[in-house]
Amino acid sequence: MLNISKADKVEIWTGNQAVAEAVILTKPEIVAAYPITPSTPIIQALSDAYEEGRIRGEFIAVESEHAAMSGAIGASVAGARTFTATASQGLLYMAEMVYWAGFGRLPMSMCLVNRALAPGWSIWVSHEDLYSMRDAGWIQLIAKNTQEAHDLMIHSFRLSEHHDVYMPSMVNIDGFVLSHVAAQVHPLSQKFVDDFLPPFEPMFTMDPDDPISFGALTLPNDYLDLRKDHINSMNNAKKIFTDYSNEFAELTGRYWGTLIETYGNQTGDVCIISMGSMSEEVEEVVDELNKRETMMFGSLRLRSFRPFPTEEIQKITNLFDTFIVLDRAYSLGSDSPLLTEIRNCFYKNRADKNIIGKVIGMGGADVNYKQIIDLVISIIKETD
Amino acid sequence: MVKTKELVQIETEIHAIEKGNLACPGCQLNLAFKHSLAALNNNAIVVIPACCTSVIQGAGKGYGMHVPIFNTAFASAPPVASGIARKLKLENKDTQVIVWAGDGGTSDIGFASLSGAAERNEDILYIMYNNQGYQNTGNQKSGATPRGAKTTTTMTGKTSKSKNIARILLAQDVPYVATANAAYPQDLFDKISKAAKEFKGNFRYIEIYSPCPPGWNIDSRNIVKVGKLANETGIWPLWESINGEVTLSKVSRRYLEKTNRKDPFEFFKLQGRFSGVDNDLIQQFMEDVEFEWKWLKKYLK
Ligand SMILES: Cc1ncc(C[n+]2csc(CCOP(=O)(O)OP(=O)(O)O)c2C)c(N)n1
Ligand code: SF4
Ligand SMILES: [Mg+2]
Repeated sequence: MLNISKADKVEIWTGNQAVAEAVILTKPEIVAAYPITPSTPIIQALSDAYEEGRIRGEFIAVESEHAAMSGAIGASVAGARTFTATASQGLLYMAEMVYWAGFGRLPMSMCLVNRALAPGWSIWVSHEDLYSMRDAGWIQLIAKNTQEAHDLMIHSFRLSEHHDVYMPSMVNIDGFVLSHVAAQVHPLSQKFVDDFLPPFEPMFTMDPDDPISFGALTLPNDYLDLRKDHINSMNNAKKIFTDYSNEFAELTGRYWGTLIETYGNQTGDVCIISMGSMSEEVEEVVDELNKRETMMFGSLRLRSFRPFPTEEIQKITNLFDTFIVLDRAYSLGSDSPLLTEIRNCFYKNRADKNIIGKVIGMGGADVNYKQIIDLVISIIKETD
Repeated sequence: MVKTKELVQIETEIHAIEKGNLACPGCQLNLAFKHSLAALNNNAIVVIPACCTSVIQGAGKGYGMHVPIFNTAFASAPPVASGIARKLKLENKDTQVIVWAGDGGTSDIGFASLSGAAERNEDILYIMYNNQGYQNTGNQKSGATPRGAKTTTTMTGKTSKSKNIARILLAQDVPYVATANAAYPQDLFDKISKAAKEFKGNFRYIEIYSPCPPGWNIDSRNIVKVGKLANETGIWPLWESINGEVTLSKVSRRYLEKTNRKDPFEFFKLQGRFSGVDNDLIQQFMEDVEFEWKWLKKYLK
């Protein structure tokens, strides 16, 4: 095991501090940010870090979240490692640009400090904000505690900048529960981060000597190619993140799981599925219930919501009788978002009816009844 | 001022726009873009929010410009340009970062982000081409549409006054602010060159009057004439402000004297957007023009 930090160094940090200190170790050249509770202390710490000369670069104190994400987009396309942080209303306000960064395949990292959406005004944790950007083409990682928040930040940059992934990535931490509660953190050392996270090597950039047009009018076939490539890259992220998690565990002795982390019985009666800081509580619940009850309990938590750990979850569908999905959000008119995702995985294993999905007609591609007939016939033949 | 011959030679060499792009015949923003990029020697990174210029670059893999362009969402160009400019600053590069935006993107949806970038004095040359409406979406009114003009959302003529963004930015103490006109390429070339060379490191704003044949309902043969008439009638004076010192540009100087101005009727009659509009509104339009001159005179030394 490598000496990751100064021997026995332990800090008492809030989640926000743990995130900011990790980001500082990644030496972002540009941070563009706008304050919102409970993420504000992160950006304040970064502003200080530039001012004090702890890192070299530029802090852009923009006039809105829309501009914060825009600034990060400009920085990224110019070849800079870049970061921002926000929460709740801030994320919704920046939504258009979150998609621009995602669909634009611009590496960067963001810390989303999860907070409920208004009205009524609530500054406390909820996961509606996380789910609202589910389809924006970002990697979405979730920490269960302060130490993991610190560690995940480094993964987030590395994953985002990998040329087989190459898309933005966010780390979610629960508002207040993690962001504002001080806990013990073993800080990563600069040397460790320098080794673990190679410098950002942009795949394309804005160069007057080799001009390209980014995001111009795109015809349907090209549009589809772009999206297909994105889908493939998102799938690549599954294995690459798993590898990073294992590598990190080997180097530091801190094993957080892969795309998921399981706890308690690996097979049994009841499996409790959750995300975020709640998962640590669930681990205690599992210990307690396994002592108290005759039934056997286990826990599964997601460390990544996008990409979704479909294969990992499919593996456990036959290992428990009952699954309880805990979620901090609800999709009005449907079910909780995590529940629908989990049911989707179960269906893939256990359905007695075929439900086949096909993506057609994206980006203006023509869809006519003949094509649909051909598609239907080919599916029927395939599944016969 | 750059000589016409010189300008033609520079533009032929630099070749900022390839033939056959998607602009409408007679489009003045297209010419303004060409003159501007020539003045920048193509050493620029251009950020373009949603507008006609997003489209006219070409579709798919056909690309008709010789500068890198970052196409971005409607309200986001100034902060995107800020991110790029900060990175270039860290690398000590002399490349100009340009925002090239329409009047809608500037005066309406992108107004806050424009004002924010100006306040931070980002190293950006912001060029607004003013075709006085949302032309990309089919001529709806914008904050910069003049009073009296008919658009698809002001069917009988706009009743409120237009926003003067150049003046608003003077109130923000932007060190270089100028108005220009696509029909006066030499003046435009000089202003872009000056803003680029002498005020690098600062936020700069140039607004180019850019008539639009379909939107203004003008026969494209008359489009340059309309641009010239806007100056000659005193309707669109060209001026420049350097650190708050306002001067009238050479081509507009003689129109300070009202008697030298041409009859505005010459200007109106070539444009379908003013035809059939109530005389009172046209009268108010002319009062708005007088208001601009009054303001200018106050600041002229
Ligand atoms: C957020 C958002 N709202 C609306 C649009 C639709 N839209 C695209 S261009 C445009 C008008 C642009 O007007 P202007 O900035 O004056 O440029 P012009 O089209 O006249 O060149 C509008 C409304 C959009 N792309 N994005
Ligand atoms: S609509 Fe007007 S501004 Fe747009 S491309 Fe055509 S002429 Fe140019
Ligand atoms: Mg316009």
